[in-house]
Amino acid sequence: MHVSIFQGIKLVFGKELTAGLRFRAAWAAMFMFALTTLACVSMAMQGGGLDPRLLAALLWVILFFASMAGADRVFADEDTAGTLLALQVYGPAQAVLLGKMLYTFFLLLVLAVFITPLFLMFMDCTVTAPLVLAGTIFLGTWGIAAAGTLIAALTTGASIHSGLFSILMLPVILPVFLPAIFLTTGAFGGDVQLSYLGGMGIYDLILTLGASVLFDYLWFEE
Amino acid sequence: MITIGFTGVVQTFHGRPIFGPLNERLTAGQITVVTGENGSGKSTMLKLAGQLLSPTEGKVIARDGDHELVQAAFRSQLALVTPELKFYSRLTARENLQFLLGLRGIELKDDAFSALLERVGLREKDIRQTYTGEFSTGMRQRLKLAALLASGAAVWLLDEPGANLDAAGRELVLREARRGAADGKLVFWATNDSREEGAADACIHLSRH
Repeated sequence: MHVSIFQGIKLVFGKELTAGLRFRAAWAAMFMFALTTLACVSMAMQGGGLDPRLLAALLWVILFFASMAGADRVFADEDTAGTLLALQVYGPAQAVLLGKMLYTFFLLLVLAVFITPLFLMFMDCTVTAPLVLAGTIFLGTWGIAAAGTLIAALTTGASIHSGLFSILMLPVILPVFLPAIFLTTGAFGGDVQLSYLGGMGIYDLILTLGASVLFDYLWFEE
Repeated sequence: MITIGFTGVVQTFHGRPIFGPLNERLTAGQITVVTGENGSGKSTMLKLAGQLLSPTEGKVIARDGDHELVQAAFRSQLALVTPELKFYSRLTARENLQFLLGLRGIELKDDAFSALLERVGLREKDIRQTYTGEFSTGMRQRLKLAALLASGAAVWLLDEPGANLDAAGRELVLREARRGAADGKLVFWATNDSREEGAADACIHLSRH
């Protein structure tokens, strides 16, 4: 008997969500990191206005580093708990990868939906192009989820897992990170260059396909 | 019919020899036990048989008739009861089985779940709302056996499955292994229990280097 890829993804996503909601460490770490950073930046600025470019960079630095606090755990938690073997024996590679990627994307999207309105409020920031901001957040979090899931799988078992994850993540995610800042600057009142959205979408797709191709080698590595 | 062949297999860890050269053939429909003192490489041999580890030298090849089974094709035929296999501690027994078996395309209905628990000696009312993290070691061992039985896998790798089980539990493992072999499963079993060894059709003894 074989499970369809969609059913497999649904099962992995459902398991991640159930386990994540019952043990909220990853959620709490991400949300508390984002809130603490936002509070620090907001207090440091003391209500002073900032350039849209600086505001956009701040928002993405908060989202990126908050995601580092939770997204790197998708495989490390399985390894620590000893459940990775069961998943490797029973789980089809692509369903595991894409299910975990979808869950990370969902987690980051929830984080972004939670933190962005607070950021706008605390930083007294006006959004002139809300659809561009929404599209940028969608594609930006997708990119972080795709790269994060693959790199989390690559670094699982490494003795300096967290450090290695952040170091490897930065160069891979720069092609998403930089256009996301440019587009968010546009959404905060600067010039909007919509071609960046297309570029981000293509890079996200390449990341997802690349992760899918590489993951089989990792999954069946003996 | 599935076979797993070991040809000239030598295993070392960080230059330390474990065993080899080994030439063996495991066949479906029989129980093959591997025995040897602690550190002789019984668990390592099981991992090699399950393609979860590559040998330092030589080849381990699984075949179904003339077709070589590799990667996903082999893994979909594999089930284990080993100390390294763990369940999700914050999911219940039902949730764990539904998830793992679901990934193999097996749907676990209420009746089948109840029958499975009864078969491995777990009481449904005791574990219905309990996370597996709260199970005793023996209960977890029985649940691993339940996953293996329900998986429909053709290759069973058992690494001291009687460990942490009471006398009835060890009897259950023996009975299920015999039944599995009779159903055409390839049962490869690491043990040092003379009774389990006596129930086997073939035996491989590993001596420590």
